[in-house]
Amino acid sequence: MLIGIPLDQKRNDTRQPKECSAEMSAHLDTVAKQRCKVSFSKVFSYFAPRLRSYALKQMGNEALAMELVQDTMSNVWQKAHLFNSEKGSPSTWIFTIARNIRFDMLRKLQNRKEDVCSDDLWPVLCEQTADTKTAPLDEQITLEQVGHYFDDLPVKQKKVIEAIYISGKSQQEVADELEIPLGTVKSRTRLALQRLKDMLKEHD
Amino acid sequence: MIKLHPTDSDLVDFVEGTLSPAKSLLVSAHCDMCNCCREKSEIFTEQLASKVFDEPEQSTSILSDFVNMFSEITEDEELASTNNNGILANPSNVLQQIIKNELRDSRNHPNLTKSDALYLDGRKFILPKTLIRFTDRLGEWSKLVGKLWQAQIDIGNGQLAQFIYMEKDGSIPEHTHKGNELTLVIDGEFSDGISQYDSGDYINLNSSHTHTPCTASEEGCLVFSVIDQPLYFTSGWAKLVNPLSNLYFKVNSGQSISISKS
Ligand SMILES: [Zn+2]
Repeated sequence: MLIGIPLDQKRNDTRQPKECSAEMSAHLDTVAKQRCKVSFSKVFSYFAPRLRSYALKQMGNEALAMELVQDTMSNVWQKAHLFNSEKGSPSTWIFTIARNIRFDMLRKLQNRKEDVCSDDLWPVLCEQTADTKTAPLDEQITLEQVGHYFDDLPVKQKKVIEAIYISGKSQQEVADELEIPLGTVKSRTRLALQRLKDMLKEHD
Repeated sequence: MIKLHPTDSDLVDFVEGTLSPAKSLLVSAHCDMCNCCREKSEIFTEQLASKVFDEPEQSTSILSDFVNMFSEITEDEELASTNNNGILANPSNVLQQIIKNELRDSRNHPNLTKSDALYLDGRKFILPKTLIRFTDRLGEWSKLVGKLWQAQIDIGNGQLAQFIYMEKDGSIPEHTHKGNELTLVIDGEFSDGISQYDSGDYINLNSSHTHTPCTASEEGCLVFSVIDQPLYFTSGWAKLVNPLSNLYFKVNSGQSISISKS
């Protein structure tokens, strides 16, 4: 779990983002390229508690606030490759992710169905080019092999994939059912599909 | 030249995500057209972000929550333990579904299905990119009284958003507004006895305004309009151009509101 990964919570980091913006950018870069948990722990330790304070003020509810923090930081972990230090600071990027998630959470709480969603207004996390043009699945691969690969998926990813692709549930339904944030469902789906594709490619 | 912009406080609310969805849509589309407001929005976003993250953080009591959260977030990528709870479905179905999904995703790719322009009256209107995302939800164009055309976009419960096109010499009888009616001029110009409006102008009209919009422009004029308060669809564009539909007079409870005729 967290072996060897310190969360610098107790250090009471009083630096301002401007002072450590370059440092945080570098950490995000390492997260993107190497999936480095140590770097992510630095980013997480700095931003998560501050985000929680903000969310608590905004939503007035501990559970919602923590959901917002988790969903936001989960996106930071999954989508660090979309951060571009030339376009802005890490704090601005993370703020916009949190803002989008909060906007959608509030809409959901108000039971709005067809509506304007945050991606329509602020496409902060749209994968413009990255994922869309990966090679199509090779149909030569035998079903047995896919079954085998599928077994190798993490249990949590498997559950989400099954609910969506076998039971035909929407991502929102899966989120409600498993009581996890929508963003987590999305990222698990994405990771699982990516992993399956990678495994199929490696096989070639 | 754009003369009318959202207020700074609207822009701040917009970037913070606290403006209503309908109003956010219009502000976002305005920012697509207006460099000045787009730059302001970016600055306001940075300011809000540094307000949130500049504060030194004191709390230590919730450390364990964060430790759990951290591992929850990062363990998604760890390889699974071997137990799969026996819920594994037929792998061939999984493969088929994944392939189907890939195909669907590629069909839904915005660049393939969403048009970046509206074609009307033999003309092509380039849309702000925020509104391009909604072109696949655009209803049919219908011709209305005078020289007006209208097409609605479904943005959900009780919220009306629509494009209105005024042909040359088109006009709308004098009327007032209840609630906030926000209008963005997409292309063309019109006047209303109060002001002259041009492409990009962000027009916020409320009950204190009485006006008579008309366009004398050779090109006609395309506007996009939203009503901020669904209860007040009793006047303005909404009433004049759409007096027949009850659809938009429903509030969230599903209860109909009678339309007052004046
Ligand atoms: Zn402006």
